[in-house]
Amino acid sequence: MRSSENGIESSKEISQSEENVINFLDSMDTYLILVDSLSSALRQGWFELASARQSMGASRVNSALFDLKSHHASTTLQVDEHEDIELPHFTLCKWASSDDPEKYSEEAKFQEDELLRNKSDSPRPQQRGATSHCSEYQERSAEIGGSPVKVDNHAERERFKSLSVFGALVSPKLRATQSSFEKALEIVVEISNVRSSLLRSYDQVHEELKNTK
Amino acid sequence: MYGFEAMTFNIHGGYLEAIVRGYRSGLLTAADYNNLCQCETLDDIKMHLSATEYGPYLQNEPSPLHTTTIVEKCTLKLVDEYKHMLTQATEPLSSFLEYIRYGHMIDNVVLIVTGTLHERDVQELLEKCHPLGMFDSIATLAVAQNMRELYRLVLVDTPLAPYFSECITSEDLDDMNIEIMRNTLYKAYLEDFYRFCQKLGGATSEIMSDLLAFEADRRAVNITINSIGTELTRDDRRKLYSNFGLLYPYGHEELAVCEDIDQVRGAMEKYPPYQSIFSKLSYGESQMLDKAFYEEEVKRLCLAFEQQFHYAVFFAYMRLREQEIRNLMWISECVAQNQKARVHDSVVFIF
Repeated sequence: MRSSENGIESSKEISQSEENVINFLDSMDTYLILVDSLSSALRQGWFELASARQSMGASRVNSALFDLKSHHASTTLQVDEHEDIELPHFTLCKWASSDDPEKYSEEAKFQEDELLRNKSDSPRPQQRGATSHCSEYQERSAEIGGSPVKVDNHAERERFKSLSVFGALVSPKLRATQSSFEKALEIVVEISNVRSSLLRSYDQVHEELKNTK
Repeated sequence: MYGFEAMTFNIHGGYLEAIVRGYRSGLLTAADYNNLCQCETLDDIKMHLSATEYGPYLQNEPSPLHTTTIVEKCTLKLVDEYKHMLTQATEPLSSFLEYIRYGHMIDNVVLIVTGTLHERDVQELLEKCHPLGMFDSIATLAVAQNMRELYRLVLVDTPLAPYFSECITSEDLDDMNIEIMRNTLYKAYLEDFYRFCQKLGGATSEIMSDLLAFEADRRAVNITINSIGTELTRDDRRKLYSNFGLLYPYGHEELAVCEDIDQVRGAMEKYPPYQSIFSKLSYGESQMLDKAFYEEEVKRLCLAFEQQFHYAVFFAYMRLREQEIRNLMWISECVAQNQKARVHDSVVFIF
């Protein structure tokens, strides 16, 4: 009886250690795939930037045009560290308002597919210089369609604003560059989270190996 | 009288026409581009270019090279050739050659104003300016707060002064106003250049009208595509189109209301010269449009050399050299980024 109980406990320990090894290998696999994706996204982004320079001219796309005025970051990284959870969790808050970051920081966390689903229902405002009307229009649209519509228009406005350092009318190639680097940023955050879980799995496996010795 | 330029052109323009045709023979050929496209490093590119007319300009550059260095030195060669022609030219050829610079001057003005708006150092901005567009008081642009001051303090004494009448306001300069200023200035410059060429008459007028009309139409298409999804209204967009060209006025009316690339295609395909350009693109695609336009432009510029005794050869030569420099920039970027498989995406062969 005692030997069967010991047998059950040891099989539980073995399955737990195997699970930890599998978790570690899974995390490692995900990590390597993400690193490869990051490399592709960055490569694509740099290539598209060269293509945009070719299209718009070197005088319009160069580092001398970057804005050095102090302004709020439109994209921020939040690090959640809870006492009961060892792993820190990284969250990217994209396209919060560069004028008022507190106002849109929560809404900016919505999933990309929700934004895309509501995109077709929200015609873009066309009036130049009518940003006050623009925000009223968006408020009305938000009342009808809910806050994802507002976030979508806001995210597009922030994207346009960040590209406007190169001029208000930029080539679609420059916008494609922005998308590629935006995707690379998302992958970097994902890598951070996966790496965090990878290191934890590694510690667990290492601990078990030490105990078995 | 048109057709009798052979009797009088060589008196004042014969030497420089011979010079520019000599310069033209120095343009890189398809064989040169094939060699360059196979380079593994930027030093290989420098080695291949040392056997061309760019050799003396690159030979003293230390390794490791940067793509901007290659472009800068190649541009210096173009500037030297331009200055040589300008110093030898008499009226009206000297005025014609000055007109070729005004586009670069507009780009430099916008670069300085935009950079100043972004609190950049003026010296840093001056280093990025195109040498063909430099003028004496360019650094003073940094003190202007709005377009009225820009004009009053600096530009009133420059050749760009007449182009400012349509865009003088007291509004503070911001990114959209600067963009509208850029396009309004360029529109006024193109129209003025067009009128000047018409006054010259003869083969110059005929060939330059075609080249400038193509430039105006291409700008209209680019403005349309770049303004899709932005705050620029239809009326503002229409105001940026030039008042000449194949697309003026009915094509402009259609382009002004376009909301996506397919509508632009629909508007442009009604014009046979542009039908061939858009037939090379698949639906919804605009990535290869630039290359298609550059190829068409190069074809027209090369045709300018088929006729003698006119000034359009000077314009054509400058534009072909600029295309060559764009090609070299693209090849250098592809080599530097290890993207040689994509090098033919944007290289436009001249011969």
